[in-house]
Amino acid sequence: MAYVATKGGEKAIQESEKLYHQLKKPVTPEFVQEIMDTMPYLVDRVMGEGSLYAPELAALALAQSGGDLYEAVLLLRAYRSTQPRLAYAKPITVDDMLTLRRISAAFKDIPGGQVLGPSLDYSHRILDLNILDGIAASEDDEDTQVEAAEKPAATRYPLVADWLRQQGMIAAIDVPEEIDAADIPDVTRDPVMMPAPRAHRLQALARADTGGVLALGYASMRGYGFIHPTVNELRLAYADVQVKHPVTGEPFSAGRVRVSQAEVVTKGKSTYKIGFTATMGWNEVKLIAGATLDMEMSQADPHPALNEDFVLYHTEPIESSGFCIHFKLPHYVTFSSGMDNMRKVINVLYGAAAAGKDADDREVEAEESKTSEVVTKDTM
Amino acid sequence: MSLIELAQPNQGYSYAFLDAFAKRELRRRILKGIAIPGYQVPYASRELPIARGWGTGGLQVTLSLVGPDDTVKVIDQGADDSVNAANLRRFITRMSGAETTTDANQATIIQSRHRITEEILREGQTLVLQVPNPEPLRRVEPDMAKARILHADADYGQMWLVLYEQLVRFGRYIQGASYPVMVHERFVMAPSPIPRWDTPDLHQSAHLTLLSAGREKRLYAVPPYTNVYPLEFTDVPFEVEDQSEWACRTTGERNKFMNELPQDDGSSVFELSDTGYMEKLVNHQRGEDVTIGTTYYDSEGQFYHDGYLKPRRSRQESPDA
Amino acid sequence: MTDTSNPGAVVKSHPMLDAPIINRVPPLVVARNLTKYYGSIKAVDGVDVIAYPGEILGIVGESGSGKSTVLRLLNLEEPANGGVYHLQINSLANTNLFDLDRFDKRDVRVHHIGIVYQNPHLGLRMRYSASGNVAERLLITGERTFGTLRSKSNASLQASEFPIDRVDDPPSVLSGGMQQRVQLAKAIALQPELLLLDEPTTGLDVSIQATVLDTLKRIQRLRTITMILVSHDLGVIRTLADRVMVMRNGRVVEQGLTDQILEDPQDPYTQQLVHAKL
Repeated sequence: MAYVATKGGEKAIQESEKLYHQLKKPVTPEFVQEIMDTMPYLVDRVMGEGSLYAPELAALALAQSGGDLYEAVLLLRAYRSTQPRLAYAKPITVDDMLTLRRISAAFKDIPGGQVLGPSLDYSHRILDLNILDGIAASEDDEDTQVEAAEKPAATRYPLVADWLRQQGMIAAIDVPEEIDAADIPDVTRDPVMMPAPRAHRLQALARADTGGVLALGYASMRGYGFIHPTVNELRLAYADVQVKHPVTGEPFSAGRVRVSQAEVVTKGKSTYKIGFTATMGWNEVKLIAGATLDMEMSQADPHPALNEDFVLYHTEPIESSGFCIHFKLPHYVTFSSGMDNMRKVINVLYGAAAAGKDADDREVEAEESKTSEVVTKDTM
Repeated sequence: MSLIELAQPNQGYSYAFLDAFAKRELRRRILKGIAIPGYQVPYASRELPIARGWGTGGLQVTLSLVGPDDTVKVIDQGADDSVNAANLRRFITRMSGAETTTDANQATIIQSRHRITEEILREGQTLVLQVPNPEPLRRVEPDMAKARILHADADYGQMWLVLYEQLVRFGRYIQGASYPVMVHERFVMAPSPIPRWDTPDLHQSAHLTLLSAGREKRLYAVPPYTNVYPLEFTDVPFEVEDQSEWACRTTGERNKFMNELPQDDGSSVFELSDTGYMEKLVNHQRGEDVTIGTTYYDSEGQFYHDGYLKPRRSRQESPDA
Repeated sequence: MTDTSNPGAVVKSHPMLDAPIINRVPPLVVARNLTKYYGSIKAVDGVDVIAYPGEILGIVGESGSGKSTVLRLLNLEEPANGGVYHLQINSLANTNLFDLDRFDKRDVRVHHIGIVYQNPHLGLRMRYSASGNVAERLLITGERTFGTLRSKSNASLQASEFPIDRVDDPPSVLSGGMQQRVQLAKAIALQPELLLLDEPTTGLDVSIQATVLDTLKRIQRLRTITMILVSHDLGVIRTLADRVMVMRNGRVVEQGLTDQILEDPQDPYTQQLVHAKL
């Protein structure tokens, strides 16, 4: 009864929260800064799923939640809900990005070249125990400094998909001359209806749970789907957020954000089909899995676990994690309502005597498993 | 001059947390819901500073309606002081400055999870029910796009089939809470997981009921004085939970919805689920001056709309006879 | 399965005692110039289907001939690209059924057409009881009395010669033959004028197949019900059908009385089919 005490619930939850914080060090501004500086990929992931580009707030959310990712994303999302929309950024294309990494698995070489950029792909995953002993490599050490290439890399690269389009291998797309950003459907402001507008689908993927997208994307890759993805292009980049000056109307850069995107292709009937995912921050696993799902969801009759409704609803990090933990809440009214039925069913099926302690448990269980088909979830 | 200097300093939150745009959207959706009783209206559903699935749908509705002059009651499983109800109440008052109460008669807005009060709500009061799953057809059609078509066609054959199957296998309806209802002779609606005991309260009620699912982004309404009937075959009546033998250990009250509390010796004791009502009964028994409202069920267990609930079938009577 | 279950109990008259109805009445089904494309493929290319009350019309052909597509068009399951479709039923006589909106189409399917699919998963809810599957048809029409639902669905299952002690079992635990009987009971529950049969016994053991065909024959005798039977199996066609249409590549290559077609096929393709069978 303590957990639904008739009095004192408010006090209990306050103390419970205090105890949670007491079991870890208090958060300081320096620590928040430290998270930003040392864990950019973690910050990226929280910003991506939180759909708010604010490294400092994301780091604060991580610190405040003790590193509980779903809590951190929720903190950021809840904060985001309170922020007014002051302006719409100008839509950009890859030509507007400053690309650091751009690779293609579809071709040995591509126009503009394969650019490895920053990556741990080819690192040996060995824990550097020296660090624990305080023998860290010095910053001046030549081994740790990037050696500049003879020729500086380009900052702009054409899309591999454009080359395929020129070859007629991918269906051409209509690119409108001018897009008013305010006209783009916004998944945070409109209810999602299935089938989802393309903008909603891509936005939902951009802020989807990385683990969830990976699980479903992997299911598709492993053979529960109907397509085999080839990474046509994956890129990590910086992008300027261009907004119009409220007075002069002149565009200016309000800041620079880390963005990433991937295109995967698969053989269609007469052309290649393409799947796409982009997100804020650099998160390559999510991009490839998300782009695969994008392609899979466009199939005429995808595997049930890979249709749009299934994927988009079940990879929403805040909804899925929130609903999962809500089962900690008391459900005794609904349970009691079900028990009222169960008692009578046992009565009818096994006679009044069985309703007592003599009930043959196995029999009841067998009946219950039958029940599950026609009993619906009424205890949520 | 830098951008930082130009920008406004970090501000506190809007009144009642949601920004004006979100509130306006919610109010419009609520009006639409009232105009089409039982119809699930999609809405954007903002993230709130409590977890999804913990009442964010109800909370958004409450926050979009609440004003400083309101008096709010928040209950979870009938209890005002369960940790979750306490938490939601703390948030609503912190953000809106509204008064709070545990007395159903005093409240202008009652946000609830899984219960309706024992005392009859009156005109002008708003009951906000938190909804985990707004779609009564989910059980038979998990695809939401297809379920919408079934609603549009009023094609509820499968819902009836589920009840038919229950009767075939168990001789009775075994749907516990969230018993499906037909609203305004048009839409089948999930009344949120309230026990069957509370389901009749929605019928021809004087108050407004708003139901909102934040995670699923749907809200719907039962306007005052609207017909709400549980799905039941003409020859097998819907029955509320049978607690006629139970008496509240604290007040001695009967024929109200009870919590069953298991005891060490294998027996059970019982206590009123509606703690606000229990508090008033206790105070009344102590001789304090409290106003106890009329209840949906009288002390004999008779529902206040005569004839709405058909007589309970005897235990042996099988519909298959 | 014997004939002791008295399926005649639900039948008002015994038309078999009268002169053949086919001689006296206009056709029930008049579908002309049925056309259906899938992309560039003409699955059905200008087919006429005429069927008289109480007769069994067989449609035979190999897979891909368009015969199942014809059945789906007649069941209003998918839109036709061309053609007209009339059922000679008072309220519908002057209506091209293809022109109806989806609500009216559904209404026609509920009240006037029953269908049995080769694959029981298409026609049944495998986890609900057999009787529930049949009762669903009655529920759709608004029947809300449990006792009536129960007795009517049981009567329909009985008419399909389904064992009465298994009416509460779900199709998932029933044999293939019994699953087809549940489909049949469901299809005839609302006493439709037209019963469509899409390879109803394909995949069943030969002995089971024979008893299901028996049941179909009996139902046809006892009720004035028109059946259109699609099969690739000339044995099934020979057993059941009064008349037969032979389809190939979306067209009808030959049609006539069953005995005539099977004993004396004129079209080279039909000759090949009959020869292959023998």
